[in-house]
Amino acid sequence: MSEGEHPEGTSRRSFLQLAGAGTVASGVAALTAGDAAASEAEPAPGSGYRETRHIKSYYDSARF
Amino acid sequence: MRQQTSSADRARVPADPVAEEDRLRAYAYGLLSRLLARPPSQALIDEVKTLSGDASDLGRAFTGLAAAAAGGDIRTIGREYHALFIGVGRGELLPYASYYLTGFVHGKPLASLRSAMLTLGIARDPAFKDPEDHICALMGMMAGLIGGAFGAPAALDVQRSFFTAHVAPWATHFFADLEGAAAADFYRPVGTIGRLLMEIEETAFRMI
Repeated sequence: MSEGEHPEGTSRRSFLQLAGAGTVASGVAALTAGDAAASEAEPAPGSGYRETRHIKSYYDSARF
Repeated sequence: MRQQTSSADRARVPADPVAEEDRLRAYAYGLLSRLLARPPSQALIDEVKTLSGDASDLGRAFTGLAAAAAGGDIRTIGREYHALFIGVGRGELLPYASYYLTGFVHGKPLASLRSAMLTLGIARDPAFKDPEDHICALMGMMAGLIGGAFGAPAALDVQRSFFTAHVAPWATHFFADLEGAAAADFYRPVGTIGRLLMEIEETAFRMI
């Protein structure tokens, strides 16, 4: 179960794609192409995320 | 807040920052978080209108949500949100892990979550008054762990540990309740998306 050896298991990726986790498309394609992560960290004005955000990250070199 | 970390800290994070399916996972979690945090803004409703999925169950649920957004309006959806989650006294649903797991809010599951957040370096915004085990907070934390909002994308085993301990025990049940809630219309496909995503995640985490 070492995640380090199989950081992105092929079967898992295939499963996720087949299950539909990779199927949201069209209008969202632009969002998911690169902004999904960014929108979590630095919400764009108007996204609604700033108002709703109640989690801030304080990543102070604490390790997982 | 982003901060560079030493390579040793992140040795177990895949070199590819966030793979495509993980971006979509992060987006789906983030969308659930935003939809469940408060009555949606017009911008969020407009964003949801643009969603479309494929023929999979989850894809159809996204398409259904887009249709619900297109057929709804901000005031109606806002009233629905209030009926579901706020209400007079309380809403139809109490979207807290502690309530689902113990029958009481502010119980041991919340304490356990706070401890995990401390370990992960995740802090709440003091302006948010709900406890951290609100479903929208947990969906937001999953999105952040996957997408890298909390410093860097978390390794899959870290995601799995958090999901297994704090999300899996109750979120599927909550989303099923949301799907079946009397007041749910726009939020019915939100419940479906959440339930399906939780089921997919449980299966996918067993594959790592």
